[in-house]
Amino acid sequence: MLTNRRKDAWIAAVLVAPFLAIYLLVFVYPTIQMVMTSFTDAPLIGDGAFVGTENYERLPSDPRFRTAAWNTAYFVALTVIPGTIVALAIALGVSRLAGRMQAAILALFFLPYILPVSVVYLIWDWVLNFQFGILMHLFDLLGIDRVPITKSRDWFMPAVAVVTIWWTSGFSILLFLAGLRSIPPEIYEAAELDNAGRWTTFRRITWPLLWPVTSLVFTISLISQLKIFDQVYLFSQGGRPNDNLVLVYYIFQRAFQQNQSGRAAAVAVVLFILVIVVSVLQFQLLRLAGGRK
Amino acid sequence: MTIHNAIKAAVVAAVGFGTAAQAQETVVWWDFLGGGDGARMKQLIDRFNQEHQGEITIDATTLEWGMPFYTRVQTAAAVGEAADVIMYHASRIPLAVEQGILQPLTAEDWQAMGLGQDDYAPATWDAVTVEDQQYAVPFDTHPIVLYFNKDILEAAGVLDENGLPMGMDSREGFTETLRALKEHGVRFPLGSVTADGNFMFRTIYSLMGQQDGELMTDGEFLAGDNGEKLENALSVLAEWTDEGLQSTYTDYPATVALFTSGEAAMMINGVWEVPTMTDLSAQGQLFEWGAVELPVIFDHPSTYADSHAFAIPANRGREMAPEKRAAVLEVISWMANNSLFWATAGHIPAYESVTASAEYQAMEPNATYSSLTQNMIFDPRSPLAGISGPIFDVMSTYFVPTLNGEMEPAEAVEMIRDELNAL
Repeated sequence: MLTNRRKDAWIAAVLVAPFLAIYLLVFVYPTIQMVMTSFTDAPLIGDGAFVGTENYERLPSDPRFRTAAWNTAYFVALTVIPGTIVALAIALGVSRLAGRMQAAILALFFLPYILPVSVVYLIWDWVLNFQFGILMHLFDLLGIDRVPITKSRDWFMPAVAVVTIWWTSGFSILLFLAGLRSIPPEIYEAAELDNAGRWTTFRRITWPLLWPVTSLVFTISLISQLKIFDQVYLFSQGGRPNDNLVLVYYIFQRAFQQNQSGRAAAVAVVLFILVIVVSVLQFQLLRLAGGRK
Repeated sequence: MTIHNAIKAAVVAAVGFGTAAQAQETVVWWDFLGGGDGARMKQLIDRFNQEHQGEITIDATTLEWGMPFYTRVQTAAAVGEAADVIMYHASRIPLAVEQGILQPLTAEDWQAMGLGQDDYAPATWDAVTVEDQQYAVPFDTHPIVLYFNKDILEAAGVLDENGLPMGMDSREGFTETLRALKEHGVRFPLGSVTADGNFMFRTIYSLMGQQDGELMTDGEFLAGDNGEKLENALSVLAEWTDEGLQSTYTDYPATVALFTSGEAAMMINGVWEVPTMTDLSAQGQLFEWGAVELPVIFDHPSTYADSHAFAIPANRGREMAPEKRAAVLEVISWMANNSLFWATAGHIPAYESVTASAEYQAMEPNATYSSLTQNMIFDPRSPLAGISGPIFDVMSTYFVPTLNGEMEPAEAVEMIRDELNAL
């Protein structure tokens, strides 16, 4: 069949144009602006004078930046792998159910995911609140001393991590379930004929065939947890904000509280590069790990 | 706009209503009053709209208090989308001026409103002034006070003949009162917002003020012996925690709940909780209560206050029409003149003709605590100060562990001094 290549290209361009225009406008342009701002002493509103790399040079000796970087890494460690494991375990359990029961249980696990973060915060504040939280009354019953969970440095990040996993695992569960369903049942039947045990079936069939989904879940949650802000901000209101800083919170503090967009932009650029490097590295590593099998 | 006005003017002239018909102005208003005071503000706005039917209508929106409100105002003004008049905390005016998001008020503006410097207490007037220029019209001052449960205090024998708590004049005296309440079996003699360092700043800054302490001296934080004064202030509160005299790790709503449920006999909180008490009381769900100026723990009375003020945003790229400005000034002026009703929200009206009136002086509990207006101190005049500002965050981070017995006051002061000076 004869095709008019020129016409095709033209149609393609028209179809791609709306996306490209929006992408350039709301992603590429602001990103370039952000990088440029990071070399100035701009306030929140308006332009600033060029200061070279001063905003970046300050970061290594900035205690708040160090707290923020450390807390972000800690939070990622607490959520990404544990969250993926929890989601996988739940998905495996749910996939054993059938029909309406499966739909009902899945809905229960997915429900938290549709809640806005402010509602999640309120629900968990009712649980964790030192004076009135349900958990504290449980502690009283068991004779355990009350713990000021969201006000103590040791408990804050683990608590927020648990809440985050509770809140977001619904989406990962869905991805895992889709992955599990795409594994042909014949393979399991064959394994059964070969007398393979449950663990062997999981290790030799489910895990490797599910690997692409696992690495996807892993990468998505890694990126979103690096950008953690809402939960930390809400739970540390009035508490110990500067002990609980994470990178995005620190950007917010510099830009909106201290009116220093230049310094905020420098942190944002660092985070931007960090997210790109970490996620590309991780995806490649996971691909390699998967390919070896 | 101009074409529209021209046509309207032509029509008006043609019909011959030149004097009677005035264009109806809509004044877009933003505030952050979500509590009991918000309900009262709504009544004031409704009254204004009724009295100005056909002339001016206030279109009011209430936004989330604190950081969300100020973030929104900053960014909205930058793109010319902010309201015509907004409520602003005086403590945040220095930052707003640095950012250029508020319009200065001219002498003509003050004249149009019929208000001026003489109508306000000097500290209140200073709070809206940056380099001899006013940027807002103070509407109220809202200090913190000591709320007390008369029933419990009486039963514990620490209510004096005037119906006020005993031991209000010294550290030892007040601590004795707290101990007596504890011995009487009260769970928390004092309900304190110990989980919220932002909030405790108000109490601690008041206690610094009682020793003539300054947070900021010529741009330096906690200079000279001011660190020691902060340490003294923290030590008193830490001591009460050690003895089990105040609630620990209690956030704001929990503190109010502890007090209103009778589990805490006293509470240090803002006057804006007065409506909570009067409303509960009216429903017959509250004990006999009172509110009084903070106890004198150190040398002399001193209380932290902030002020709700009206400001006109500098909307970038959007010139304010003279008619609109006149309408906004009328709104502000009317509110000042009718601020007696605002006192039912607990706040102390800033306009002195109102507080001097016999009606105001007969209001309770306002009359009991209004003596403190002589002893008010405001935030340091710095872009770093004010609610939800960086100073608050630094303070909060160290106040919470100190007030709950996790950190020594001296250590906290050292960290606070270092971090504030590094801002």
